[in-house]
Amino acid sequence: MSEITNDRASSPVFTGPSSLGETAPAVELRHVSKSYERTTRALDQIDLRIGVGEFVAVTGPSGCGKSTMLHLIAALDVPTSGSVLIDGRDLTSWRDLSRYRREHVGLVFQLHNLLASQTLLANVEVVMFGTEASVHERRARARDLLAQVDLAGRERRRPTQLSGGERQRVAIARALANHPTLLLADEPTGSLDSVSAGHVLNLFNAVHATGVTIILVTHDLTIAAAAERVIHMRDGAVVADVPTTAPN
Amino acid sequence: MDGSETSVDYIAFMLRGVWAKKTRSIGLAFAVAFAVLIVVTLQVTSSSLEQSAAAVMSVGKANITVVQKGVADILSSTIDEGELGSIRRTPGVTSAVGVLVGTQKVNADNPVFIEIGINPTDLAAFGVTVVAGHPYTASATNQVMLGWRAAANLGLHVGDRFHALGTWNTVVGIYSTGNAFGDAGAMFPLPAVQGYNRLPGVVTLVFVKVANSSSSRAINAVVRRITYAMPQLTTITTASQFGRADVTLVYLKAAVTASSVLAIAIGAVIVGNTMLLSLFERTREFGLLRAVGWTRRRLIGLLLGESLVLALVGAALGVALSFAAISLLGQVPSLRGVLHVTFSANAFARGLATAVGMTILGSLYPSIRAARLVPLKALSYE
Ligand SMILES: Nc1ncnc2c1ncn2[C@@H]1O[C@H](COP(=O)(O)OP(=O)(O)OP(=O)(O)O)[C@@H](O)[C@H]1O
Ligand SMILES: [Mg+2]
Repeated sequence: MSEITNDRASSPVFTGPSSLGETAPAVELRHVSKSYERTTRALDQIDLRIGVGEFVAVTGPSGCGKSTMLHLIAALDVPTSGSVLIDGRDLTSWRDLSRYRREHVGLVFQLHNLLASQTLLANVEVVMFGTEASVHERRARARDLLAQVDLAGRERRRPTQLSGGERQRVAIARALANHPTLLLADEPTGSLDSVSAGHVLNLFNAVHATGVTIILVTHDLTIAAAAERVIHMRDGAVVADVPTTAPN
Repeated sequence: MDGSETSVDYIAFMLRGVWAKKTRSIGLAFAVAFAVLIVVTLQVTSSSLEQSAAAVMSVGKANITVVQKGVADILSSTIDEGELGSIRRTPGVTSAVGVLVGTQKVNADNPVFIEIGINPTDLAAFGVTVVAGHPYTASATNQVMLGWRAAANLGLHVGDRFHALGTWNTVVGIYSTGNAFGDAGAMFPLPAVQGYNRLPGVVTLVFVKVANSSSSRAINAVVRRITYAMPQLTTITTASQFGRADVTLVYLKAAVTASSVLAIAIGAVIVGNTMLLSLFERTREFGLLRAVGWTRRRLIGLLLGESLVLALVGAALGVALSFAAISLLGQVPSLRGVLHVTFSANAFARGLATAVGMTILGSLYPSIRAARLVPLKALSYE
């Protein structure tokens, strides 16, 4: 598998002043709580700092709030209280959250990641519409990324013609299209067998090597072991935060 | 990132989205086509009728046509000899030709055969060329000139007999006016038509030529003088002013407008309803697009773009269907001779405007609804 390249990794993406000085964490949660309706408390006073370039796995039993936390970081939802800071800046102060999602974040979900009516190429290109990239550059970038996830020559296929693992690789290619600084993945290997899951993990490792910060949600501890750091959650709170021994 | 991208890959993306929902897209295109069919057919037939009627006037190649004000039907206009004389004496007028126009049912194929009473001395000023035989004399009875189209339709030649004005007439000449409507009728000496209709000294229309005809100011000045001196008359300088004299056409136009508005409204409701239904099945798709950074505007742009594609397909289909419909209408015997169908660029433009207006109108609300979806809710939508 060819190497994942990320031009952004070498140049600082966020150049504005940060409240924490030079070493602002890539992601910081301050006393973050999230309640649905009145009763369910999905997140309870979470405090968390994830450094630039870290590869973090988040694990925990079903319903402990993993997805909820990821959605808050992706600015797909807002906390009930507390604040989410990206590169030291509170997300509520970002002027354009669509742009944040498009240019700073790469998102991979467990299911329904792709547009069934579109080709693989278009599924990757879709996030580049409206960026400064020309048609030619978008095409080239999408082809390049598909090649990097071992799908060269299948650009014109539809997602329905792919296996689950292949689909997740397309989703990862799309997530990387705009050179994100933060890759968020929610159970990307959840529906995959161990061989496919291994494939996808290799990709994450390659992306990590380019300096991208990665938060990988999984309930599978063997998958979590691929990260540098594992955060265990239970009932909406962080109960353990440990470095792994896995070599990276 | 705005909603109006036109790059090839974006358009391909949009087209694939439309094509993926074939049944829905084809259904919508047909709904659009149906509305276009109604609007274009009504428009073309009504403007054909208008032009046929207006053609009576354009036969005369006049600068101004004078008609009685407020008549239900242009052919029921009456202008007497005194008025005709006053028009002739109006400063700036070089010639004023009075004609009496009537219609007759010749046979089932020619239900509205036009009969024009005109003095032989006025023929040249009126723009009539005799192509066979010779003109009738001023006071002749039982003499007729046929338009070349009428002669061809009826299979008549110079020297044949033709029944009109309650009697048998001899065809003394065949004429051409260069106007389809005029060439499908017949001309008689003015007193013969006046006598048959018991309208001595009366004409229907007066065709006026103005000295300085290239100057619209000169024409307007003559118009003002005529209508000031004779407020019971009105003037027509272009075909579109025709309705000023002919109330029937005003009603016809109103009916066409009302039907068109109704067709567009019904079409817009169908488009809107279908789009709203498809919103549910596409919720996840829209949620995904928003989650990966599409703005609301871009999503609205995509949906309106999809509608525009359907509008263009529907318009093409609708215009084709309406041409077929109009051609069929042209075969209906009672409309033959009345309906001189002219497919104008205007008809195309109306078809396109109908299609685009209706789909944009219908898809605006569903598009905004789609853009308002909370991305997360949309993503977890089952
Ligand atoms: N939209 C919602 N409305 C109400 N409650 C919700 C909603 N989304 C999540 N919850 C609740 O919040 C809690 C945390 O949910 P979350 O999806 O974050 O769990 P999770 O750790 O991702 O679980 P899983 O491993 O099963 O995906 C759960 O109790 C869930 O029922
Ligand atoms: Mg989850």
